[in-house]
Formats: sequence, structure tokens, C-alpha cells
Amino acid sequence: MIVVVGLSHRTAPIAVREKLVLDAEGVPDFLRALVQRPEVGEALLVSTCNRVELVAAARAGADLTRVAKVCVEALAANAPDIAPHLYSHTGGAAVRHLFRVAASLDSMVLGEPQILGQVKDAYELARLAGTVGSVLHRTLPRAIRAAKRVRTETAIGSGQVSVPSIAVDLTKQIFGDLTGHVSLLVGSGEMAESVARLLKAAGATILVVGRTLSKAEALANVVGGTARPWTALAQSITDADVVVTSTSAPHYVVDYDMVTAARRARRGRNQFFIDLAVPRDVDPRIEELDGEFLYNIDDLSKVVAETLSSRSREAASAEAIVGREAEGYDRWADAEQATPTIVALRARISASLEEELARSFRGKLKHLTGEDRAALSKMLESSVNRILHQPTIRLRQAALERASDTLSLEQLSLAISELFAFDAEAEAASATENAAPSLDSEACVTSDDTSQLPPRARVVASRH
Amino acid sequence: MVDIATIAFYLGVIAYSAAATLFFLDFARRDGGSSLTQWAPRLLAIGGALHAAHVLTASMLSRVCPIDSLHFALSFTALIAVGAYLALRKRARLFALGAFIAPIALLFLVGAQFVGQGSEPVQGVSHTLLIFHIAANVLGMGLFLIAGASGSVYLVQDRRLRTKKRVASLGSRLPPLDALDQATHRLLLAGFPLLTFGVITGAVFSRHLTTVVGSADFLRSFLGYATWVMLAAVLLLRKTAGFRGRKVAYGTIVGVVCMLLVMLLYVVRSSGAGGSL
Repeated sequence: MIVVVGLSHRTAPIAVREKLVLDAEGVPDFLRALVQRPEVGEALLVSTCNRVELVAAARAGADLTRVAKVCVEALAANAPDIAPHLYSHTGGAAVRHLFRVAASLDSMVLGEPQILGQVKDAYELARLAGTVGSVLHRTLPRAIRAAKRVRTETAIGSGQVSVPSIAVDLTKQIFGDLTGHVSLLVGSGEMAESVARLLKAAGATILVVGRTLSKAEALANVVGGTARPWTALAQSITDADVVVTSTSAPHYVVDYDMVTAARRARRGRNQFFIDLAVPRDVDPRIEELDGEFLYNIDDLSKVVAETLSSRSREAASAEAIVGREAEGYDRWADAEQATPTIVALRARISASLEEELARSFRGKLKHLTGEDRAALSKMLESSVNRILHQPTIRLRQAALERASDTLSLEQLSLAISELFAFDAEAEAASATENAAPSLDSEACVTSDDTSQLPPRARVVASRH
Repeated sequence: MVDIATIAFYLGVIAYSAAATLFFLDFARRDGGSSLTQWAPRLLAIGGALHAAHVLTASMLSRVCPIDSLHFALSFTALIAVGAYLALRKRARLFALGAFIAPIALLFLVGAQFVGQGSEPVQGVSHTLLIFHIAANVLGMGLFLIAGASGSVYLVQDRRLRTKKRVASLGSRLPPLDALDQATHRLLLAGFPLLTFGVITGAVFSRHLTTVVGSADFLRSFLGYATWVMLAAVLLLRKTAGFRGRKVAYGTIVGVVCMLLVMLLYVVRSSGAGGSL
């Protein structure tokens, strides 16, 4: 099972979070050093501006609490004062937390899409560093799948959640492709500048008009536009398809007559006014005109609120999906508890049969051709699968059900170990070292002593 | 052959119904992305192909030139609309129009079954010219159907942006206003010469009619001319007075409604009297 240790915007202010920033180049070494510890088998690090989380898998037999402690020590090694802000989750809680993080249910902005990419990047980085093994190779894809399901099956990621992005989204709903369209920025301001940048990025040509030409020119340089003097305002409004206003004027800067005149000159082409100023810059009566659209800061804020409210409503559905995916993971993890016994049993039977077969090939069956020998080996392999089919199913059922009226997984494993005289954990560990992460690989029998564990048992496993 | 025509008809009905349902679900859903958007036009295209197969096999069975009867003319109108929509949807970003086109195609495919198939020869009129007359009308009607749908969606989108309700949730699924306005204009431009040809040849043919002209025929002629006048006015005012947006949408819808009434009168007349164009 896994542990998650870290801090996020929920537990630590930015002043604390910034102490734990690890550059991407240092992460592989950090992870490699961590998996050198005897308790930690696998590790990856999710690092964003809102969270730093270490996801680690315990080595066989290691205590999860101990693994969590090791992770806390590793994270707090260079910044001891972050320790009080660190949280840790173990086992099923860690899995659920990881799934929620990937699905953006733990993000500062609910439903934001970046976190899924960041989790994928973290997984890839750890994979390249060689610190991901069979457990995380199974866990991360499931977390990513849960996140994708949340995004496709709910509306948690729909709509824009900032005023500038909403403004540009609305512009596209009117004009479609903004290439070749002219946008006019009247006044200045951080939000207006953001809108202008987004419009520019969408392909629009930017004009900037300000009361002070030098300031307009400076702003035009910043947003990649062209400055015009204040006296050119009326003409600029005629030229522009999108007008973004953000002045500190106490009266309307764009009045009804100005827009009516511009509309005539534009021969009825649609025009969109984005009024970010308080008090307002654009006369609201222009909304009555056909082809003229006006959104002020209140209108835009309401759209943001609508989007956020819609996302919050979707969070319950998203949590349900994450819950189901986490349950699926738990079932898989439970079923995996039967794996050491299954692997060991299969290794033991395969080894015995192969040994007998090898002896026969040297004796009575010496005359067989290579093709016949291969066919015989194949037949024995199939026989092993057939013999072990029912025991495999029964062991996995025992791992999943844990019913009181049937033999438990532990009892069955003990019985098998007794009957076949082996230590399932040790033998499986030996076998899976050669077979991980899949059980479908092979190793060779080298020992003649059937009472001893073969150092490298042939494992012919199949999934049931 | 009978089996092929029947099977193509029923499969066409199923494909159109499925496409209409998916388009509607896609339109009504709350979230941002869906695979329905990909499947709906594919099903519509399959429906169109089956529809065409039905028309061809049925016409071969009845030994009637497809363009020569109202039954097939109605079917062809829907096929033209489906084909034009599929051709324009990506270029003009008219994805949401499928929610209008698919039910119309279904209605025309099924509705045509209830219309008489015979053709009543008009004395003294060149058969070739009659076929051109019908073909021009059918093509024009197909294009105007999409123009009407485009105008309707324009009004929906315009109203939504003005009332500022469900702006965030519905925005990405409706085409941009400018795309709708452009599409309406181009479809009217493409269909208008065909309509003009149909009206002129129709006026010529009416001189050769020997039957008594009733009030329904008069109303039909009136609505035919009204369609032409309305659509001509929309195009002219756009060119001269800068009419765009809502005014163009309303004008187009009125013109298309007049055209549909003309078709309805044809259907009523042919259902009662053996059917002809």
C-alpha cells in the first residue's frame, strides 16, 4: 500500500509552501535517495504552486506509519519549520487523497485542468528516475483514469473562472475566430491588460487609446498593440469589434450617440463592449441597439459565479466517481494479497514438473525432436494453468470476501504453505523479483532439491 | 429491390432519429465536452446515405424519375439540406444546427411516404423545363431550410447573450453569432437564383394550366411570390442599408415559413388529388 505526505494550500500559506519548492532537476536525486531507505520501495513527488506531495509505496513487510515518518523527515530535511504543516495519509486514505488530487477536487480552483497534467508529469519524472515499481505503476494510472472520468462524466471543468477569460470567451461566442478582428483598449488597469493580452493571443489586433498618449504607448508596447491619441476615440470605436474600457472617469466615456454613429459607419456589424470600470465607462442604453452587446464588471462576475456554482454542484458527482474508483483500487489491492501464495504455488509446481521433464528428456524421451519437446513443455504449462485455475480463483475470492463462514486467505495460504512446504512470502518475493511488475514472465529452475526454495523458479502465471 | 428500399427507409429513419437524439442531448448537456458531438453528424451522414439509397431504389421500382414527383421532391429537399449542413458544419462552425436539420430530415423522409407519387402532366409544357423547375425549387428549398435553421439559432444565441443567462454553460455549443449571420447570408445568396428561376418558370407554367384555379392555388402562388419578395428584401437591405443580425434572421425565418407553407399546400393538394408538382 501507499502513503501520501505533503502540504498544500489547505494546510500551509504561501510563505510556508515556497520553502518546499524543489526544482525539477533535483527531484530524481531526491527520489532515488528516498528509495534507498529500507522502508521505502517506490516514490514520486507531485510539486505545484499549491502543493508538494510525496507519494511512496512501502517495501514488503514495512510498516506504513514508519514509511510516512521517513517521508516527513525527507521533506522537512532542509526546512524543519514546515513539519507542523505536513499531513500524511496511509493505505486507503492515501489512495483516495491521491485520486481526489488528480481529479482536481482538492485544488484551490475546483475543477482546474492543470493538476492532472502535473500528476502525469510527476509520474513520468519518477518513472525516468527509476523510482516507480509495481505498486505505483498500478496506482497512478488508476488515479489518472479516475481524473479523466471526472472530467468527461461531470461538468466540473466546464466554463471559465476568471473575468478576463470569461470576457474573451464571450467575444468568441460573438465573433468566433478573432483573427483579423480589432480590439480597442480604452484606459488601463491590470484586468483590462489581461483581457487585451488574451485577445491578442487569440489573434485580434489591439488598439490602445488613453488620455495620455505616452501612457497609451507604454501600454500598447506591453500588450503588443498600437497606441492612438484620445482625440481618435470615436474613430477607434468605429474601427473596433471589441471595446474594452477601464478608465477612472466619473462619467460615461463611451456614450449612446458615439455608438449609434459608429454602428451606422460599421453597417450593422456586431460590436462587443467589455466595461471593466467602476463607475461605468459605457452608457448601458447601447444594449438596446441591434448588434451591440455590453457586459460590465457585474455581468462578468455573475458569469464567473455561475461557473463556480455549477462546478460546486458537480463536485458531489465527481466525489462519487472518485469513491467508486478508489473502491475498485481497494478490491484490486485486496486481491493482490493472494498473489504471493499464488505465485509461490505456481513456481513450486512448475519447477517440479520441469525438473521431471528435464530428467525424462535426458532419459526415456531422449529421442524426441526439439519441436516435440517444445510441444510437451507447452502442454505441461497448460496443465499447470488448468490445475491452478480453481485454487487461484478461490484464493482471490478469499482475499476479497473475508467472510466469516469460509476459510480466510490466511488459513488457505497457511494450508498451502504447509502442504507444499514453503514460505509463500519469501518464495513469492524471490519469484516476483524476476517477474515484476507482471506475473507473466519466466525464470529458470536451477535447484534439484524440491524441499528447498529454488533461487529462480520458473513462473508460468496467468491472469484469472 | 423492394426489400432494399424498405430496409434503407427504416434504417434511414433509425439513423436520423438517433442523430436527432444525439444532437439534442449534446445541445442539452451541461458539461463542456462530449463524444456525442462526433457521433451525431456521422449518424446524420449515414441517415443521408440510406435516405438517398431509399429514394433511388424506390424510384427504380416505380419507374419514376426521382425529380418528377412530389414524394421524391420532398425527400430530395431534405437530402440537400443534410448534404449542405454536413458540408458547411466544420467550415462555418455550424455544429449545433444539426439539432434542427436531423429532425427536419426525419420529418421529410417519413412525411414523403404519405404523399402521392404520381405526376400529373401539364399540357403544353416542356418536360425538360419542368424538371429544371422542380430541381431548382428542390435545391433552393434545401438551402433555405438550413438558412432558416441558422437564423433561428442566431436568435437563440443573440437572446442568450443579451439576457446574460446560461452564458457559461451553453456558450461553447452554439455557433458564434458572426458565423451564423454569414452562413445565413451565403445560403440565401446560393438559394436565391434557384428560387428566382423556380418562380419565373412556375409563372410560365401557370399560363398553361387548363384546370380551374382555386383559392388554394392562389394562396400558393401568393406565398411563393411572398417568399421571393421577402428573401429578396433581406438580401437587398443587407447590401444597401447594412441589415444584419436579428433583422436578417427574422426576415429569413419569415421567408422560409412562407416556403414551407407553399410546400404544405402542395402536399395537401397532391394528397387529395393524386399528387404532382
